[in-house]
Amino acid sequence: METDEAVTTDRSAPVAADASGWIDVPLVTLAVVSVLVTVFAGLLQVSYGAFELSFGEAWTTVFDPALLSNPAVWKAFLLGTELPTLRPRSIVVWNIRMPRVAVGLLVGANLGVAGTIFQAVTRNDLASPQTLGVNAGAGLAVLLTLVVYTGLTHLLPLVAALGGAVAFFLVYAIAWNGGTSPVRLILAGIIVATVFNALQTALFFVADDLGVVQTALAWTTGSLTGVDWAEFRIILPVTLVGLPLSVAGARHLNVLVLGEGTAKSLGMNVERMRFGLSGVAILTASSAIAVAGIVGFVGLIVPHLVRTIVGSDYRRIVLGSVFVGPALVAVADVGSRLGATMFVFMVGVSGVATAGVFVFVGLALSLYDPDRIDRRYRRFVAGAAVVGLLAFGVTALLGGPGVSDSQVPVGIVTGLIGGPYFLYLMRRRQQIGDL
Amino acid sequence: MATRDSDDRTERVQLSATEASARDSALSATDLELGYPTSEGPVVTIDRLDIPAGEITALVGPNGSGKSTLIRSLADQLAPDSGEILLQGEDIASYDGKALARELGHLSQENDAPASVSVEDLVFHGRYPYRGFFGAVDADDREAVERAIDLAGVDHLREENVGNLSGGQKQLAFIAMVLAQETDVLLLDEPTTYLDLHHRLRVMETVERLNAERGVTVAVVLHDIAQAARFADYLIALDDGEVYDWGPPTDVVTEALLRDVFDVQAAVRHTPEPEITPRRSL
Repeated sequence: METDEAVTTDRSAPVAADASGWIDVPLVTLAVVSVLVTVFAGLLQVSYGAFELSFGEAWTTVFDPALLSNPAVWKAFLLGTELPTLRPRSIVVWNIRMPRVAVGLLVGANLGVAGTIFQAVTRNDLASPQTLGVNAGAGLAVLLTLVVYTGLTHLLPLVAALGGAVAFFLVYAIAWNGGTSPVRLILAGIIVATVFNALQTALFFVADDLGVVQTALAWTTGSLTGVDWAEFRIILPVTLVGLPLSVAGARHLNVLVLGEGTAKSLGMNVERMRFGLSGVAILTASSAIAVAGIVGFVGLIVPHLVRTIVGSDYRRIVLGSVFVGPALVAVADVGSRLGATMFVFMVGVSGVATAGVFVFVGLALSLYDPDRIDRRYRRFVAGAAVVGLLAFGVTALLGGPGVSDSQVPVGIVTGLIGGPYFLYLMRRRQQIGDL
Repeated sequence: MATRDSDDRTERVQLSATEASARDSALSATDLELGYPTSEGPVVTIDRLDIPAGEITALVGPNGSGKSTLIRSLADQLAPDSGEILLQGEDIASYDGKALARELGHLSQENDAPASVSVEDLVFHGRYPYRGFFGAVDADDREAVERAIDLAGVDHLREENVGNLSGGQKQLAFIAMVLAQETDVLLLDEPTTYLDLHHRLRVMETVERLNAERGVTVAVVLHDIAQAARFADYLIALDDGEVYDWGPPTDVVTEALLRDVFDVQAAVRHTPEPEITPRRSL
């Protein structure tokens, strides 16, 4: 057969020799960088707080072999048994600060994967737990519990998750008309979210106790402040079920995004698959809401971020989201802990570090196969470096990094990072939002 | 098609014409009424329709005559208001989704894939009906994909992303995907519309090869009646949701058909394939 037509070749990714060889260089690089960022942010997180610790003290405590190899300690964390006697430093790092990091990681992974699934199922780049009514449902459930059904307050995590699930099923029911369609799902999501948000706001007026309002606000903006190993024990089992199911389901998402007709022609029971995979997404999103409240934007941004680097194969996007979600939440949570100037400084450090790692990997790769390094790669490195250096500049202008005492909820930080990033994506990729 | 000896072809068509009644039909429909929720009354009404096994059948008709509606219902994409469709003698609605997709391949008129999916990955989707929820790719799948890529002639494109392909190359990639399903029956909805001449012939040659080498039954909606006449063993001419005529092209393509169904005054010469020279619209 002849190749008479010029085709622009995109050799950024080594081509899968078969369907199981889909783990490629960009995906591995992304995962490695995400893990590095996560570890870095996590170590920063455990180093700051009311109990003064130097970086060295904090980090040796984190990697304390005596503690890490003690099964009684792990039993206490994972099963909730009594904690053996530890040094105060270990208690502070491992029992107060680490759970915040650990829960943050799972929240990020779960929200990222949920957003990815929602975007594939609705074939809409703007879909997320937010747009499909999950957040509004959870928020309403939280307010109802705090203001009206105060007897259920101790079940708040469960109620929040349930509220999210109920809202999504309501969205599904409204969208159902002998079958659903991506556009109908999005529109139904907007309807439900609008009504639920209105009810939520109305309940704020009814609440007369300022404490209740503050608790409600913390829930509806999302916060990792004060989470404990108990929260970790709530989210871990769901994560262990939800993430493997999501990774296994990613292949089906690939078929689903070919369109309903094609998916059906290939023998897929489209409605059942769509509902089932949405169920997995609801499960993971709800578990995140149950422990951290409504952390916005993570579910929307993570899939986009991953997609720009690994392309549109959902097997790669889902797996990438498992790594990028935690990194984003960990970084945002450091921001919420450290305050504005320190955070901007840290963004600078991570931006330059990311660029450095990518340059290093890129150099190693180009020795091996120069064709692998394409424009996308170079742009990413340049982008990271520019963001990092800009951040350093801003920090210098603001008078250097400093730790602030007050903590901002992590949900606000993700919004502040997510909004501008999404704007950048929209300007770069014109086709975003095409229904 | 130019390479084929036209005498051979005529012989084959005439042979199958005499055999037609004796042959089994791969797909058949009886008392079919098709409609959409938004339409008043049925769009397509057909008493009896046969897609003969091992032959290429072309559905022709003007815009809005119900060709696509009919092929969608034959592919179980559109449930009929009444009547039944039999695939190898069994009601098509009783098939499990994946079992059906192993027997019957269907390529719709418009196909879309994310831009950065490689042709090879796309073709692997054709193996979907052979895999369980957690099922991995096995040697059979790989071989089927190789055969499909080879048959559709997209080997040189296998590493390209679908987003970088021209319309014709993209269509061939999707055809390779359907071929990887390795079905006995193949339904194609206007696979050549919007393609240039070269790719139009490439698509048709692929379908002919599939039919000749593997005996696959093909039903294809074609816009161009001259192309259909040259290429198909049987024609089904649809007019306003009803079958106007059915049979080998030499019998079906007549000046009366063009006048009644297509509202075109044309001269038809048999050389011996029917050749159409349009004169004016009516």
